[in-house]
Amino acid sequence: MSAVHGQERWEVLEIIGAYAAGELEGEEAREAEQLIFERPDYRRLAESYARMLVMLSTLGSEPVEAPEAAIDHAIRRAYVSAFMRQAETLIGELGRTYAHAFVYYLGLRPNTRESYGGGI
Amino acid sequence: MNRIEERDLTRRAAGGSVEAFRQLVHAHSGLVYRLALRILGEEDAQDASQEVWVRVWRNIDGFKGDSAFSTWLYKITLNTCLNAREKVTRREMREQLDNIPFLPEPPGGEADPEAEALSKERREEMQAALGHVRKDHRAALVLRHMEGLSYAEIAEVLDVPDGTAKGWVSRGRAAMIVALAGEDHGRRDVEGNVG
Repeated sequence: MSAVHGQERWEVLEIIGAYAAGELEGEEAREAEQLIFERPDYRRLAESYARMLVMLSTLGSEPVEAPEAAIDHAIRRAYVSAFMRQAETLIGELGRTYAHAFVYYLGLRPNTRESYGGGI
Repeated sequence: MNRIEERDLTRRAAGGSVEAFRQLVHAHSGLVYRLALRILGEEDAQDASQEVWVRVWRNIDGFKGDSAFSTWLYKITLNTCLNAREKVTRREMREQLDNIPFLPEPPGGEADPEAEALSKERREEMQAALGHVRKDHRAALVLRHMEGLSYAEIAEVLDVPDGTAKGWVSRGRAAMIVALAGEDHGRRDVEGNVG
């Protein structure tokens, strides 16, 4: 079988698939109908597509529940991450406070005059 | 949960509230897991959905609320799933297509298609067949025919033009029917091959 024939067959497959999914209109739909009318194997293909699409849709509408483990894992990770974030902030603030205290202790803080915007 | 509640939760979660994040996880864990299950299969779905929620927590301050939270979640889930290492390299099917594939009639003729779809065996065949479809095409197919998204929504979630989304769904559908026919009864010759 040549690659060209494979390609042509594939195109027919896609056209009939689109027709079965109700996605063709006008001239395209008529061409697909012509193909299906002329060839019994194409007719069977169209019927197979229709069955497959019903099965896909039925399967898609079935409820699926995520395993508890997956949910727990996600929430646990978020808690750990939030804790680490807070710890980081706390340590950062503590460090800054100690640094300020140390600067004050060494008397390195410049003498700043407070101003209330009064001008004098 | 309506969009306003959701927006409030995402804002609080972005501000560091684990409780708000917990509520989001509980409300949407089904969506994330279901999508991961369809794209990656049962073996990898749990790891992928855990990874999705880690990414959501890390990036939730980047969610601006321009689209629905679920659209944003679809995006992260699909990015995670599509970036997951493909365990088996799939060959393109288009040049190997020898025959027009078809599914055998359900036993008992015109059986109720829904009942057929719900059988355990059929479900496993569907999942296995999905695994044979190229990942990006599979993602588009799942979004269109299992999640019921429009092409515009698929394009937004996959971050591709509308035409590409449409093409991926079309190719995914074709690859799926070939794979499903293979799952059903192997590659069999049918009368009246094309060409």
